[in-house]
Amino acid sequence: MPEAVLPPPTRAPLPQRYETARSTLWWDRFMNRFITVGGVAIITVVLGIFVFILWQVLPLFRGATVQTLQVVPASDTAEYLALGLDEYGEMPFLLDRRGRLHFVELNRPGQHRVHPLFPEDNVEVTAWRYHPGRQELLCGTRDGRLERIEIRYRTVHGGGERRLDPDVQVQLLPALARPGHPVRAVDYGDSGTDKLVALAQEVEGRFEVRAALLTQTRGLLGAGQVRVEATFDLTDQVPGRLTHLLVNRMADAILMATAEGEILYFHREGRALRLRQRFRPFKDCLRTEIVLMDFLLGDVTLVLGNAEGRVRLYSLFRPGAEGDRVFGRTKQFPDLAGPPAFYCASQRNKAFVIGQGAEVRLCYATTEKVRWHTDLEVPVQLAALNSKYDRLVLLDAQQNLRVYRLEDPHPEASWRAFFGRVWYEGADRPRFEWQSTGGSDAFEPKLSMVPLMVGTLKGTFYAMLFAVPVALLAALYVSQFAPPEFRGVVKPTMEVMASLPSVVLGFLGALWLAPRLETRVPSVLLILVLVPLAALAMGALWSRLPVVWRARVRPGYEFLALVPVLGLVGLAGWMWGPVLERWLFVVTDPATGERVADFRLWWPAFTGADFQQRNSVVVGFVMGFAVIPIIFTLAEDALSNVPATLRSGSLALGASRWQTALYIVLPTASAGIFSALMVGLGRAVGETMIVVMATGNTPILSFNPFSGMRTLSANLAVELPEAPHHSTLYRTLFLGALLLFVFTFVINTVAEILRQRLRDRFKTL
Amino acid sequence: MQGRGPWQERVRAPGEPWVWFTAVGLTVGLVMILGLLGLVLVQGLKAFWPRRVVEITLKADTSPQFRGSRVLAGERVLERRKRHPAVEVAGPSEDREWQLFLGNKDVYGQAFRFVDVADVERVRMPSGLLRLERTEYGPLLAYPVALESPGAEPLPAEHPAFLATLQQRIEEAHQRRGEIRRLEKKEIGELNRQLEKLHWRLRALERRQAGGGDVSAELAGIRQRQRELEAAYETLAARARELRAAQERDRLVCRLPTGEEHRVPVGRLLSFYAPNDLGWFGRLQVFATRLREFLTQEPREANTEGGIFPAIFGTFVMTVLMSLAVTPLGVVAALYLREYARQGWLTRAVRIAVNNLAGVPSIVFGVFGLGFFVYVLGGQVDRLFFAERLPTPTFGTGGLLWASLTLALMTVPVVIVATEEALAAVPRSTREGSLACGASQWQTIQRVVLPAAAPGILTGLILAMARGAGEVAPLMLVGVVKLAPELPINTTFPYVHLDQKFMHLGFHIYDLGFQSPDSDAAQPMVFATTLFLLALVVVLNLTAIGLRNHLRRKYASGAF
Repeated sequence: MPEAVLPPPTRAPLPQRYETARSTLWWDRFMNRFITVGGVAIITVVLGIFVFILWQVLPLFRGATVQTLQVVPASDTAEYLALGLDEYGEMPFLLDRRGRLHFVELNRPGQHRVHPLFPEDNVEVTAWRYHPGRQELLCGTRDGRLERIEIRYRTVHGGGERRLDPDVQVQLLPALARPGHPVRAVDYGDSGTDKLVALAQEVEGRFEVRAALLTQTRGLLGAGQVRVEATFDLTDQVPGRLTHLLVNRMADAILMATAEGEILYFHREGRALRLRQRFRPFKDCLRTEIVLMDFLLGDVTLVLGNAEGRVRLYSLFRPGAEGDRVFGRTKQFPDLAGPPAFYCASQRNKAFVIGQGAEVRLCYATTEKVRWHTDLEVPVQLAALNSKYDRLVLLDAQQNLRVYRLEDPHPEASWRAFFGRVWYEGADRPRFEWQSTGGSDAFEPKLSMVPLMVGTLKGTFYAMLFAVPVALLAALYVSQFAPPEFRGVVKPTMEVMASLPSVVLGFLGALWLAPRLETRVPSVLLILVLVPLAALAMGALWSRLPVVWRARVRPGYEFLALVPVLGLVGLAGWMWGPVLERWLFVVTDPATGERVADFRLWWPAFTGADFQQRNSVVVGFVMGFAVIPIIFTLAEDALSNVPATLRSGSLALGASRWQTALYIVLPTASAGIFSALMVGLGRAVGETMIVVMATGNTPILSFNPFSGMRTLSANLAVELPEAPHHSTLYRTLFLGALLLFVFTFVINTVAEILRQRLRDRFKTL
Repeated sequence: MQGRGPWQERVRAPGEPWVWFTAVGLTVGLVMILGLLGLVLVQGLKAFWPRRVVEITLKADTSPQFRGSRVLAGERVLERRKRHPAVEVAGPSEDREWQLFLGNKDVYGQAFRFVDVADVERVRMPSGLLRLERTEYGPLLAYPVALESPGAEPLPAEHPAFLATLQQRIEEAHQRRGEIRRLEKKEIGELNRQLEKLHWRLRALERRQAGGGDVSAELAGIRQRQRELEAAYETLAARARELRAAQERDRLVCRLPTGEEHRVPVGRLLSFYAPNDLGWFGRLQVFATRLREFLTQEPREANTEGGIFPAIFGTFVMTVLMSLAVTPLGVVAALYLREYARQGWLTRAVRIAVNNLAGVPSIVFGVFGLGFFVYVLGGQVDRLFFAERLPTPTFGTGGLLWASLTLALMTVPVVIVATEEALAAVPRSTREGSLACGASQWQTIQRVVLPAAAPGILTGLILAMARGAGEVAPLMLVGVVKLAPELPINTTFPYVHLDQKFMHLGFHIYDLGFQSPDSDAAQPMVFATTLFLLALVVVLNLTAIGLRNHLRRKYASGAF
């Protein structure tokens, strides 16, 4: 045997052979890092939605910030009576006792312009009033002269810069005052065509009060002649001395405060002036005399202060359903330490600046909140806000003008405005109200979330009322009684139902269903009663049939037998609805006096609540399409995941299938069913398009099933496209979104935790 | 027959009626969904089916006349019981009324009218009546009398070649309309775009000039170019005017059912058919034509006529963009959660949170999209790249990109959850096998795990697309509009216009149903659109369900 030839020795394996390719390693490392970083980033971003929305909402709850910009000395040592400001807060002016206007240029310190209002030098202004909104000043003098001054600012461009140029126009008012006697109070209101002047003059220690109605015709060639339409002498009606006199801008009210602390409200209608109301705002206080009386923006709310430092707001409203609008107390602010010394109302919102001594407060009337306050070193005499509401100017006792930058973008926002009752101007009591936009400048946005939350709850309630029984019964039937083949058909069908776009549901609900249901409410009621009864009756009948017959139908196929019967019963209910209506819902039509069988008329007559075509019943039914499949799927999962051993044991012990389902399966799966309900609730709360389309979207506080509502989500869809970026409304809508987010998130989390608990429990069974 | 259960042993099982009672729930649920699908199917298809036109003669003495005539013709849309709420109801025959679609809105001022059945003396279906679709005022229902052309003898309707000639003229007009459209949209549009570009350059130069730079030469060049463009515009506009005049030349003379004579320029006619002379097959043809036009044409007359093509296209583009954004986001996040993150309480909490985001109302995502994408991101993009156009926003307003991203964010939880489930379903042994063979982690994921999970991921994606395609509420905030015939993808640079607003099927339904000036006339269109959207969503969902079931079977058999 030849020597076996040994195979050549194999080469020792190269160590490189076992090395992984560099590119593979690199890719692996890169992808590992990429996925980790990317995954964390994506999850952070997704969860950051909450943070972003919160961040948009937070500025609503900040107070005002006020920063000192400059301190400018006012020119001389004159005694200043009034302080006014231009739109940009660049050129304040001061009125002094000798009837001169001092314009102070803040951009060029030290530059003052003095503008005398009267030709003579020895004038003494004894009565004055400045309307910042109209930039109109009224002056009455010791010798009985009366002037109305309009202060306009012209923007002049020159030398590469912009400067303001004041333009003062003096208009003599009709000779209402008796010459030679000091004017003690004067005011003027101008509604365009009608102008009302009122003044109080001291004649030999006695107050004479007169008013005049002026009219101005407006022709094609501009404003026409002013003529005196009527004069009124109110002296006899005014007891004693007057401390304050106001005329509103609608020129239909004169308000006077007497030295005894009584306010008289004269109302003008046409050419008649009539005393409408007398009241004592500080009747309950130690010192009743009125130190401050002035209007808030819109001239329907009075800001009143007494010598103790009490600050109260009185507004015009109708106390009953009918009658005249009179003043009534609506708000009270925290007391000042002493009598209010200065006051200035904002021309943009319901804010005002008030204070005494060295204390300055910025208050917001609607929300009854002090938004900012400070204590200066020096007492303050006068205050002014510009019309853009971003500058505050104070004149202190050392004759210095202090200029502040005011930042208060959301004065009307507060917890109370969103969640509490607020007494809005013109209302007879505090209310929850949502009305974000209105026609006039003086309109105050009403931003209560409560009607929206109630609307959301209402929609959810009616949706759940319908969806829960249907979904749970269906889940119970499919999981416990139906043959398993059923599941394979029913579950995908329900999933398709869950995916129906809500805009389709909303459209069908509003334009197809609502008009058809409107006249058929009795039919619906009848069907609601008849269908379950029919099913029960059929069940009872069935169980009495001989076994031979029953054995022909496989258990679980009852459903097929039920469909035609329920169809017939439903049809019968639909047809007999009008019969029921003619029998039960008969009402006498107030218009014709006829006896009429119409549920739409019967409902308001019987309950006092109104009936609308697009109502909560329709919404509840249509939302069922969205909610039923969700509850059904989750509940069915929970029920069919109950271990089969439990069911078998129960059946083996002789319990019927119903007993097993009711006493064994249902309690075991209860947590899962509850979780299903929660998820369904979350869906109903957030549903948007159905509610937008199938309700009238009126924000009302009522649980009437035949009226509409406005939900938080619908409110977002309706108002957000129109809300200016970063306005109060915009942020308030974000607050609505935040509420929705938090609510649904919490509900879903609870549901998820319950589900996981249940899963753990089944594992141990 | 199954084995004998306990319910057969006892004569009467307790609670048996209640079992029947629970069946009510299922019945109601199924009736609701099937009823809804059936309703939309029937009403949607009915919108295309040519109805017969009835001519109604009203009773001579009693009934109110219509435009001084006792005869009127229209499509019978609705027959309903007139509601007499009074307890004493009159005899049943007077109790019904018909809603007629009369057409001829420009002449009558209204397109619909109710007629009491009691007032009707005679109903017939007149032959020879035409239903003519027009570019405005909806269809015309009339008897043709003659075809007038300038400089030629009018062609009477009795002439055998009349209908063929009319058809030919309409086709000519259609071509001219296409020509006008091409001129105005493409050529004049192109000029406008160039002019606009020049305008922006001019503004930039003026700013430089204000800054002290000498740009007079460039300015003169631009002005010269502007003049040239304007001259070119004039030529094109003159041609368009000429074509428009030609559209008005031929006129169809017809007699309305009420007896009035009416002339309509052939240039305003789109198509016609004789509803009462069509056989079943002819009607089917009309049906198919109308269906095709609906799907391929642009809307007319405040969306109440014409087609929905821009809405389909907008929905499609937005859904595709959304899918492009949502797939990588969802898959990467799910991969991280399932394959990389340590499975502790934190991961569990994150999982629950992500899961719950799927339950947060869609409008909240819309609010976020508006606040963050549009105002924060869009505003920033505008300040950086489109400063010369400010204050007119380019990206700082709702648009295609922001809408897609918003919906992507809304649907990302769906994709994450589905992907995670699919990843979890890949057996551990598969992974370990791959790792044991020496594959790196990424290689395992790339070659083994992801392919195995792909159908599951696809299911999630399809579900997300279905949700995105049907969602309207967030889109209302971030860029959907009622009319945008300009498609977001076209032949002008940069081809895909991400900043453009777009139309959407869902919003189209909302707009037609609720913002339309004539909601009765719009209803067939709404139903047709609804049918289309519903079909889209249902098909997507059924695909997803089918895929999932297929997947379940695959894993159930335990292939590995």
